[in-house]
Amino acid sequence: MSLEKTLHPDEKIKAGKIGGSLAKAGVAIAVVFLGISLALGAAYGDHWKRFMYAYLIGWTFIFSICLGCLWITILHHLVRGRWVTAIRRIAEAIATAFPLVFVAGLGFVLPVLLGYKNLYYWAHPDAHDPELNHNLLHKLGWLEPGFFTVRFVIYGVVFSSIAAYFARKSREQDESGDPKISTTLRVASAPAMILYSFATCFAAFDILMSLAPAWYSTIYGVNFWGSSMVGGMATLGLVVLGIQRTGRLTHSVNASHYHDIGKWMFAFTFFWAYTQFSQFMLQWYGNMPEETVWYKYRLFGDWQWVSIAMLVGFWLFPFVFLMSRWTKRIVPSFVFFAVWQLVFHWLDIYWNVMPNYDWQTDYHGTTSVVAGPLSGNIAYHHVGFTPLDVTVWIGLIGILLIGIGRNLTGNLIPVKDPTLGLSLAHDVM
Amino acid sequence: MSDHGAHGHDVEHDDVPAGEGKLFGLLAEYDTPGELVEAARKVRDAGYTDFDCYSPFPVHGIDEAMGIKRTILPLLIFGGGFTGLVGGIALQWYCNAYKWGWNISGKPTWSLPANIPIAFETTILISVLTAFFGMWALNKLPQVWHPFFRSERFGRVTDDAFLIGIESDDKRFDLEGTKKLLVDAGAIAVESCHKDPDLSKAVMPKWLLALIIASTAFALIPLAIAAKARNSKSSEPHYHIFPDMDFQPKFKSDQPNDLFADGRSNRGEIDGTIPRGSLNADDVFYRGLEGGDWTHGFPKAYPDGREFVIDDKLVKRGQNRFNIYCTPCHGYDGNGNGAVPQRVKLGGGLWAARNLVDPKADVIRMPNGQLFNTISNGYNTMMGYGAQIPQSDRWAIVIYVRALERAQNASLDDVPADQRTNMPGGTMGGGK
Repeated sequence: MSLEKTLHPDEKIKAGKIGGSLAKAGVAIAVVFLGISLALGAAYGDHWKRFMYAYLIGWTFIFSICLGCLWITILHHLVRGRWVTAIRRIAEAIATAFPLVFVAGLGFVLPVLLGYKNLYYWAHPDAHDPELNHNLLHKLGWLEPGFFTVRFVIYGVVFSSIAAYFARKSREQDESGDPKISTTLRVASAPAMILYSFATCFAAFDILMSLAPAWYSTIYGVNFWGSSMVGGMATLGLVVLGIQRTGRLTHSVNASHYHDIGKWMFAFTFFWAYTQFSQFMLQWYGNMPEETVWYKYRLFGDWQWVSIAMLVGFWLFPFVFLMSRWTKRIVPSFVFFAVWQLVFHWLDIYWNVMPNYDWQTDYHGTTSVVAGPLSGNIAYHHVGFTPLDVTVWIGLIGILLIGIGRNLTGNLIPVKDPTLGLSLAHDVM
Repeated sequence: MSDHGAHGHDVEHDDVPAGEGKLFGLLAEYDTPGELVEAARKVRDAGYTDFDCYSPFPVHGIDEAMGIKRTILPLLIFGGGFTGLVGGIALQWYCNAYKWGWNISGKPTWSLPANIPIAFETTILISVLTAFFGMWALNKLPQVWHPFFRSERFGRVTDDAFLIGIESDDKRFDLEGTKKLLVDAGAIAVESCHKDPDLSKAVMPKWLLALIIASTAFALIPLAIAAKARNSKSSEPHYHIFPDMDFQPKFKSDQPNDLFADGRSNRGEIDGTIPRGSLNADDVFYRGLEGGDWTHGFPKAYPDGREFVIDDKLVKRGQNRFNIYCTPCHGYDGNGNGAVPQRVKLGGGLWAARNLVDPKADVIRMPNGQLFNTISNGYNTMMGYGAQIPQSDRWAIVIYVRALERAQNASLDDVPADQRTNMPGGTMGGGK
């Protein structure tokens, strides 16, 4: 019984064709589903507003998955982790999809920059009307299409370069076997974590929270991050399982690795509920109209059923069942919960975004919806789920798969990492 | 491992040495954690159950090698957490909603979100306590004494020793056979361990016995005093444990005092003097009096010399103060229909606050000075607000009340001609 193991001699650690196949599948999915989505969006006849909302939700989903995998990579170095080493290359591969994800993000950022006014209320002329929105005017310097685009690019550069740096150094170690690279990455991980945290928080404020521009919550970024971690861990587990299915890494990744990915999933499931409740309770007992209005749209009318579904589906059910050791170690059960949590993570984003959809007036027409993001009657707010939401979501997952597939090359495991032996022998008692 | 020589069969004789108690078991030492795990597996495979492994740190795989069943601790913790959750919610429901319901700003006595933080904490608390004490209980801790403690080798188990101990109570235990098994499994040393000698004849030291008896008797004294106090009557005063705190050498304002002719501790103002800053000579400003009667006008100036100007700012100030201090009873428009009378009415009471703006009632005819005095000192059931509201603000309120009276009894003529078309329905709310 040894605390360390060496790589199994028969282990297949080369990516071979899987990266290319995954990228090809991604292209096919993206082309087909985004094509359908464009058709559906045009057919919707609301000057692309519904399409843009669906696109924002889908994009946030793939963005958050990269966030999750980048975080586990940085954390692994920061705390001198061991067990992640065997699956770290996969996490790096998902995180290095960031550049492509941010290019896909231009799908909603460019229209905003070029004058599309119906996605973000702050870009809408109504927001600048002091009669309607006196409490919004002071924010419009920050929430301004040009500056918004600049920040979006900054987030893209920050996340992409952190991910690229950690992945590149890790592959350098594959070649040279220099243990000093681990030290370098450990030193880099602390500032990277700080940068990552600020960028995540501000990205959540800008991309999601600013959909309800008059409303604010300082914990919003943390809550979004918690939800992203659930999605990131679930995806990481599923991708690793998929790779094992092709006969690769079969000896290196064991039930204990899934157990620990599952533990993170479990922990962030609770963390999401914890921060979401923290946000809710302060606003609930503070009882100030400018804050409670956000929950008013979510806790009454059609939306209350979505909120209840979130409470039960995203927290209570996985919380109770993921507590057990076996639900995380037995593969079918792990897969079930990973997929379940991914669906609810998407629903969480939907729940954050879509209640902001109904405005007083659309810019292009005079379609009058007697409700606005700042005041209005919840009776006019419908969940408004459309097939478009699913097709855009799947199409953007295709984009993510392209990003991941392109990075699955060479070794699937950091072969010369000094902690690899410990990770291969990983055993959760 | 140089301190006990090279690998060898350092096996002691199995006879019970003089002065030793009955054989308790065998203690075998292994060189590495890996060898310990392998040896544990062999001992388990040989069918032993009454044995344990000892190491300075947790060894991976040892529980599987020893054939230990998974602990039930997680289930206990889950039960503890669930108890904490239900208990926390039940406690709050019982206290806040059932037994001692308390109306706070008209909020419901029972509302789940408010109780979640406490329920969360009790869940954590009980699960952690269950984890902590459950671990101790399942490990049979604390164990203050164990026969293995008598072995010097065992003392190194928190340092660098990896040991297997097999108890002689085990069904398969057979001194020679077991010893051979341990050695064959790679032990670098095996020693037999005996229970304490003459355990049955051991006597507790007399001084320890005396100390226990004395401290027990001492601990009973407070209980005895409490029992006596509960079951007897006494005319003696209380015990004073800190008499110098209970009886301090000072006078309180309401205590008698022999030092002064009038026998009081409290010394009032000396006749014919006024404290600095308390002259309050301006009768109008401080008391609302003018020539011995309530004034119909307003003060000419503030005490600091500023002119008393009735302007929009002062009326706004009056409105602000009125809305804070007066509206709970008199209502925002002064008609006496504030939150307190509304509530009295709901409870079936008859009391109502005075209508300040009714053209037929007294208030509207009161001189300004009397209104000021009423705010200062109260009127019937209304208490004085002199302590809370400074004079300048009281005058501001007087002015605002006058404005309210005017507004509530206004006619169309009061509205500037160019504004009249703007009004809802074309008539005034008051309809006068």
